[in-house]
Amino acid sequence: MYWVSVVTEAGIFAILALGLDVIWGWSGDFDLAFYGYLALGSYLTFVLTIGKPTSPVEYILGYHLPVVLAIVLAMVVVVGLAAIIGAIALRNLRDIYFAVTTLGAVSALYLIVENYTPLFDGYNGVYGLINPGQTALNLTYNGYRIFFLVVVLVLLFLAYLLVQRLSRSPFGRMLRSVREDERAAAAYGRQVFWAKYRAYLFGAALAGLTGGLFAIFISAFNPSAWTPQELLVIYAAILVGGRGNPRGVILGVFVVYIGFIELTRYLPSPASRPDFSPAMRQILIGLMIILMLRFRPEGLFRERPGLDRGAGSSGQQSPGPAVAVAVASVPAPAAQPAPAADEGGPG
Amino acid sequence: MTTFLVSIGIGLSTAAILSLSAVAFTLEYAVSRIANFAHGEFLTIGAYAAYSGQAVFHQNVAAAAVIAAAAGAAAGLVLNFGLIEQFRGRTAITVFIATLGVAIIVENVLDIMYGAANVTYGFGQGKLHHVGPFLWTTSDIEVIISALAVAGLIYLLLQHTRFGKAVRAISQDRALAQVSGIPARRIIMQTWALAGAIAGFAGFVLADTIGTFGPTLGFSFLLLTITATVAGGIGRPYATFGGALIVGLVIQIAGTYTSSAYELVFAFLLLVLLMLFRPNGVFVRSSAVSVRA
Repeated sequence: MYWVSVVTEAGIFAILALGLDVIWGWSGDFDLAFYGYLALGSYLTFVLTIGKPTSPVEYILGYHLPVVLAIVLAMVVVVGLAAIIGAIALRNLRDIYFAVTTLGAVSALYLIVENYTPLFDGYNGVYGLINPGQTALNLTYNGYRIFFLVVVLVLLFLAYLLVQRLSRSPFGRMLRSVREDERAAAAYGRQVFWAKYRAYLFGAALAGLTGGLFAIFISAFNPSAWTPQELLVIYAAILVGGRGNPRGVILGVFVVYIGFIELTRYLPSPASRPDFSPAMRQILIGLMIILMLRFRPEGLFRERPGLDRGAGSSGQQSPGPAVAVAVASVPAPAAQPAPAADEGGPG
Repeated sequence: MTTFLVSIGIGLSTAAILSLSAVAFTLEYAVSRIANFAHGEFLTIGAYAAYSGQAVFHQNVAAAAVIAAAAGAAAGLVLNFGLIEQFRGRTAITVFIATLGVAIIVENVLDIMYGAANVTYGFGQGKLHHVGPFLWTTSDIEVIISALAVAGLIYLLLQHTRFGKAVRAISQDRALAQVSGIPARRIIMQTWALAGAIAGFAGFVLADTIGTFGPTLGFSFLLLTITATVAGGIGRPYATFGGALIVGLVIQIAGTYTSSAYELVFAFLLLVLLMLFRPNGVFVRSSAVSVRA
């Protein structure tokens, strides 16, 4: 059962990472609000399914909806929030300015959830969603957990197929061309903002779904579950696996989650210092991010180069990954040194 | 009315601490063209160094301040040499993510060294003073005076020394400064040491004002620092003091009339609004310039 739980968690986070990779890997926007979307999805799944609060616990809504419907509704609301934050942050802001703006937005949200108890019961958070549908499915507790693992893996597979398809679609290629050189893409008539905005909303929808799954998985959610550190693990996993490559991203999540959970189990953990082992884990994640960025920014699995219009044959040797297929046959404006050098290793 | 004036007084004291942190952040940006997400850790390191120094110097405030600044300067040097220079030529966002990794590492190393529980200095806050309409403790006054002193020193340093001239040249164009015979690498190292020292000192002051602190002290102050920096205009040291003043007053006044739990919410909303309408700072007349960092 231990392994069932480890793999389920990794599977859930792999879906999240696929969503984040669309925003960061394809579109090139370093989003720090992303974990907030998971959090909102999770909170909403709870308050839509666990019924009225009993005093002194308080939270909004308190319905008894079927869990699948609740997750769908949660995803809708999450996309709504992302639509607001994305509209602000993506319009003119890029890079650090984008990252800081999203961090500001999610931090404000965090403080409100933490301090305004009528919303999601503040620091205490919400809980009580235990194996929804277990009786209807006529399963034992452990049987349900295995069933849930299968559900997660099927959803992960579907998400992978969808993302993989999108990745090779004109939309995916357009996003990458925007990432590589926004001005050139705009010059070729691409709607830069709309391309990024749609990618952002798609990523947020996956985060909302993940939030719902996470609610079922841990059956409790409170502010300490969505600190900035949690998001960094996902970024580290994407970096390890290979930014922009869906298969690499999934593998990266499994390597980082299972590798880390297993490794940190064997760390010496003095009884007087219960926080030693989590702290070591964070230190290793920080180190991993820095070392990957410095020595192998393309990750273990390089992003697949573009496939069409004659770019395919030269793809393996080209220094940059999938250099802007939409503008491949045309020289980019010469004045801009290509930012591609950064993702493509020694460019 | 009295409440309002008292909240302005506290706002000024907050702004003083904020201006120290923000001017260091903006100096780092000016010479290296990167936003240092590990900046908050300089503050934390300074605060903990002063805490450790108490074992030797006991209740000596001046010694604690010097130790904090020295530790911050050392941290600035190490970060610039060990990370920022290693990532030269990479995009700003890559360096930004790397410094984020550093922040996580430092925070957790301090957690292991000192424990996650908060620690406290033994310094008293001194008596309450009525200064004009404001109500300040002795340490509030010391904070405000030291922030003004740092502001004055930075002005003299940047405008009237060869070092300052070199810093200004590098912040305009590092390559051009280099070919003009300015030892850019050395000047940048010195700037990081200076920024680290100011930030370390700010960390000590911040920790002393709050009274109790933990390993997340600096990280939670970072977003506030960035807000103040952006309000002034990133990379513009003098305007940063104005930005700090705006942010300090906004959070204290808004916090007084709602609840102190929400004062940071106002700061972060201010940050989002600034990014939306004035990403180059409130003191820049033209807001038509779009930001592509």
